[in-house]
Amino acid sequence: MSTVAPVSTGDLKPQSRWTVVRREAIRAFIAVIIALAATVLIIFVTSKTPGEAFMTLLTAPFSKTRTIGLWVDDVAKLTVTGLAFSLVFQARQFALGVQGQLYVGALAATYVALSPVGQTWLGLPLGIIAAMIAGGFYGFLPGIAKARLGANEIVSSLMLNYIAVELCNYLVRVQLVAPGSGLLTTVKFPKSSLYPVLVANTRIDLGVVFAILAVLAVWFALYRTSWGLKLRLVGHNPRFAEYAGIKSNFIMVSAMTVAGALGGLLGSMFVQGQAFGQLTVLFEGGFAFEGVLIAIVARNRPLAVPVVALFYAYLRQGAQLMNIRTDVPAEVISVVAAIIILLVASSFSLPGKAFFAKLFRGASPAPAASIAGGTPK
Amino acid sequence: MNELIVTIFSAAFLATVIRTSTPLLLATLGGLIADLSGALNVALDGIMLIGCLTSVIVSAYAPWYVGVLAGMGAGAVVGAIMAFFHLRMKADIIIVGFAIGALATGGTVFALSIATGGDKGTSINLPSKGIPAIDLSFLSSIPGIGPFLTGVFSGHSFLSWVAAFLVFAIWYFLYRTPWGLWLRGVGEYPSAPEAAGIPVNAVRAWSLVVSAALAGLGGAQLAMFNYIGFTANMTAGRGFIALGAVLLGARHPVGVLLAALLFGAFDGLTTVLPGLFGWIPPELIRMIPFVVTIMALVLFSIRAQRALALRGAR
Repeated sequence: MSTVAPVSTGDLKPQSRWTVVRREAIRAFIAVIIALAATVLIIFVTSKTPGEAFMTLLTAPFSKTRTIGLWVDDVAKLTVTGLAFSLVFQARQFALGVQGQLYVGALAATYVALSPVGQTWLGLPLGIIAAMIAGGFYGFLPGIAKARLGANEIVSSLMLNYIAVELCNYLVRVQLVAPGSGLLTTVKFPKSSLYPVLVANTRIDLGVVFAILAVLAVWFALYRTSWGLKLRLVGHNPRFAEYAGIKSNFIMVSAMTVAGALGGLLGSMFVQGQAFGQLTVLFEGGFAFEGVLIAIVARNRPLAVPVVALFYAYLRQGAQLMNIRTDVPAEVISVVAAIIILLVASSFSLPGKAFFAKLFRGASPAPAASIAGGTPK
Repeated sequence: MNELIVTIFSAAFLATVIRTSTPLLLATLGGLIADLSGALNVALDGIMLIGCLTSVIVSAYAPWYVGVLAGMGAGAVVGAIMAFFHLRMKADIIIVGFAIGALATGGTVFALSIATGGDKGTSINLPSKGIPAIDLSFLSSIPGIGPFLTGVFSGHSFLSWVAAFLVFAIWYFLYRTPWGLWLRGVGEYPSAPEAAGIPVNAVRAWSLVVSAALAGLGGAQLAMFNYIGFTANMTAGRGFIALGAVLLGARHPVGVLLAALLFGAFDGLTTVLPGLFGWIPPELIRMIPFVVTIMALVLFSIRAQRALALRGAR
């Protein structure tokens, strides 16, 4: 099925790295400004106290140590899900399985933490490893189905997500539920299985370190190893990669497996982290899919992922606080997200860019992708 | 086991299958149009959700058919937005689909909260209407099989019959009209129709609009007949199952109808099984449609690969 037209991103042109970075940053910035303008509009139409709501959205996350902690914790988790999506997107596989990997990873970590091993110092590392193996396996499944049979990875990975959610619901209800508790949740994990706190009285824990390590590891794997070069070639130009003798199936399956391991790590970061410290049904609430936005805005570049996560987590926390303190629901953030994705993925240029170029250089080398007068709204 | 077989072949269960298949069939037909025009519409689920909410809110203040049309219209508008960003702004169609999906999951909850004054879970406080059922009880007068026919075919949504008609209409459009040929040509090999002077981008844009309108119609059926009212994420992945059904149906209207009926049957099974086998955990029963979709996808892919090998295309 040849439904996806190849996209020329211009990455392979010999251009200064900083020119590209600056251009992408400016595009992302413009997209955020337009999205925020749309948010202002929505808030003014729907809210009784629009000024207060918008100020809460923009300033509240930075107001207290506790809220800063929530923000940093969110950044770490968004970074990992963004990395997982970046990795598969770079190979041009649109697998959306991070949610399922997150749940099976969390389940694996929970079984370790609640076993006798969880009481010892081994609980922490073994929980993480178990989560990553489970997530990797769950990422491997749609990969091998596509490599061997050509089964569409979007559909299969999404179906596996729903299955993982129901599996988690089932196992928590039947096996793991805390005795005497009315809620579908496990007992708190023993302290030896939890991520140690890095900053007292906040949620900032070892997960932040894992997020940074994951960024460096994915960057190194993609840009400093032959595996990464092959992976990017398969993503950019599968035919060329095939002529060059690259085993594209192996690359594809391994990329999806590694991304799955990252998804599993995220599951461990949720349940073994300070935020939960236990497994609850439906604890994730669609969080994994935020990684799609992170990856798209970061253009699948591992080093850009944490930067995007920093900004987006701030908006997310702002929206949560706005939801609590004012009458604007937090879900307004999804409108912002959709606008940002659409604008970043589009090739647009601001009106007047050619005019400014003329003003400064005398002549205007019109960019090929520009659309005359196309202000996206 | 006998009870299960008796249940499956009962008129009531077949009627259930028609009911559960209808929203799926409408979305699948939408996916088919987009797929044949060369665009994988991953936003089907989101568009269905938007169709659900729009039809519920509008039908609370207007007659039922206005609600249905509003759901379809909302879908068409989303399709036009997708076409604008994909064709004019050159964004990848799959990424545009992701964006619409993100917009739909959060945006519907946001809009519901605004429309109901703070309710985020359900539209229980909105007096939304249902699509009237079409009564065919006169079929009972046929001797012999009359009562059975009534049981299977009577009391279905108006949209079930529309969907059945659409299968035929879309088949006729695709294989018996020049525009259908254009559409298939654009999806198969865009350079050829372009060289022949066919407006390729217009064909693609209209395909996306129609595809999304059909998904919106599926949403209206879901929220105005299968359930009355809106709940957050009520599509429960039906739009993605529809994507699988397009592939399983070999990208042909009749095949797609059969695939939608198959998935509808397993969806219906999830409502019947708890009553028959109380010992099966409900979570495992709810997994059935997703497991079946994966199995169908794998089996279809094996078959497609064999066909490809037979033709020696590789």
